[in-house]
Amino acid sequence: MGMFDYEFMQRAFWAGGMIAVIAPLLGIYLVLRRQILMADTLSHVSLAGVAIGAIMGINPSVGGFVIAVAGALVIERLRQNFRGYGEVSIAVIMTGGLALALVLMSMDSGLNRSFSSYLFGSIVAVSSTQLWIIGTVFALVLIYWAAMRRPLYNITFDEETAQIGGTRVRWLSQTFSVLTGMTVAAAMPIVGVLLVSALMALPAALALRFARGFTSALIMAVSIGLLGMFGGLTTSYYVNTPPGATVALLLLAFLLIGMGIQRIVYRIRRDKDPGYVVDVDSRRFWQRQSRSSQQSNVKTEVLNKN
Amino acid sequence: MLLASMQDIVFGYDREPVVNRLSMEIYSNEFMALSGPNGAAKTTSLKLLLGILKPWSGRVQINRNEKGKRPVIGYVPQQVASFNSGFPSTVYELVRSGCYMRLGLFKRFGEKQEALVHSSLEAVGMWELRDRKIGELSGGQKQRVCIARALAQEPDVLILDEPTTGMDLESRKGFYELMRHHVKQHGRTVVMVTHGLEEAEPYLDRMIRLEREEGGGWACLTTSSCSARFGPEE
Repeated sequence: MGMFDYEFMQRAFWAGGMIAVIAPLLGIYLVLRRQILMADTLSHVSLAGVAIGAIMGINPSVGGFVIAVAGALVIERLRQNFRGYGEVSIAVIMTGGLALALVLMSMDSGLNRSFSSYLFGSIVAVSSTQLWIIGTVFALVLIYWAAMRRPLYNITFDEETAQIGGTRVRWLSQTFSVLTGMTVAAAMPIVGVLLVSALMALPAALALRFARGFTSALIMAVSIGLLGMFGGLTTSYYVNTPPGATVALLLLAFLLIGMGIQRIVYRIRRDKDPGYVVDVDSRRFWQRQSRSSQQSNVKTEVLNKN
Repeated sequence: MLLASMQDIVFGYDREPVVNRLSMEIYSNEFMALSGPNGAAKTTSLKLLLGILKPWSGRVQINRNEKGKRPVIGYVPQQVASFNSGFPSTVYELVRSGCYMRLGLFKRFGEKQEALVHSSLEAVGMWELRDRKIGELSGGQKQRVCIARALAQEPDVLILDEPTTGMDLESRKGFYELMRHHVKQHGRTVVMVTHGLEEAEPYLDRMIRLEREEGGGWACLTTSSCSARFGPEE
């Protein structure tokens, strides 16, 4: 394929591929914890970081990265302190970040020109520094996930029961937010500020509709993310559209098609099915319980001796 | 053995205290019930005990066991089941996650845990439905799955907030028997908030009832011989 003759396309596919694994992975947890808007907020805040970096003469990507991580910590702090008004803090920080970014960018005319590449993403924009950042974040997220997937599952289901069971909810929640901030900042050059959250939310939304269990939801989200990312980047190369928007539209199309198929399948099943539900809530289960729990109790005791 | 104690707890959500000088003691290896009319701060008392809420004043103490470890507490909150109904998990996956607390991050999920999950699901009569998505279950079934998850934790103390809501009489009796079994055979401590004190009574070791005082506050009385002392002092 001709497009891989260009080094920038190779870089874009590497970067896109890594992001398409970690963004939907985090997205599942964010959606289930009702925090998906955090991705959006962090991308806006991160844009301010890009501007600050440029003005202070640091690498803009590094500036965006640092500010996104700081923003993640602030949001997490606010969320824990104002439980009932989580969305308010998100709205305030999002508008604040964007406004700051716009004002700062207008002060630096050089930055102003590359503004649209930050807003909408660009395939040519992936520098080798950015590729390194993305690679590091990719590794960090995967290691963190591999180590913490059990407590993460528990706090995603219910924070209170997890806390009582001995999980360090606050610490886990904070580190998770920091990694979300890093991922958002890393994804920004390709997907663009405005659409970073699409890569987290849309694969998760589709996977959550179809998946039978938690593990399958994670696998499905990542596969959808990869498909959307590679498809979007390829289209973007040939049709010359902004990559972020192309990926987002493709993911949106997947979501709509998926929902349509699901509706048709349900209708077909409903026509075939007389509509009875398996009777599972009957008394015999409870009457059986004492006997069967005795039996399995014996089994556990034997195992204990080994 | 004294497992946990609360002394002179004062707590309120607003300016007015809803719990006023509450003192309560929980002993290990007991099936204990906490009851009272709506608004009697039953759930609040549990949350204070569990440390989810911080009291304005007073002291909550949870004693360590013989090995010097903090007891493992399994908690089934009120209507946890209706809380996260879109959660994309199978029944089996969810109950399995109860074992994570004891397994930690990396210990292998082995045969012992498989057996534990199996017996927990059997105990609540949900083994046949282990592959179903939890979102597809009825409220009562979700409640049972949550109880099974707490059992899979192998808790030293099991704390349940109105676990029998929405269960029919037969199921409630089965549930009380199950709890009794865990206290007697597995040496656990069970504390539950309930409205059905009369029917639960034969299974219980101790009951604490919160009742409205003449002055509008909440007085507390216990209805079995024990040293629990509740509520405002004269």
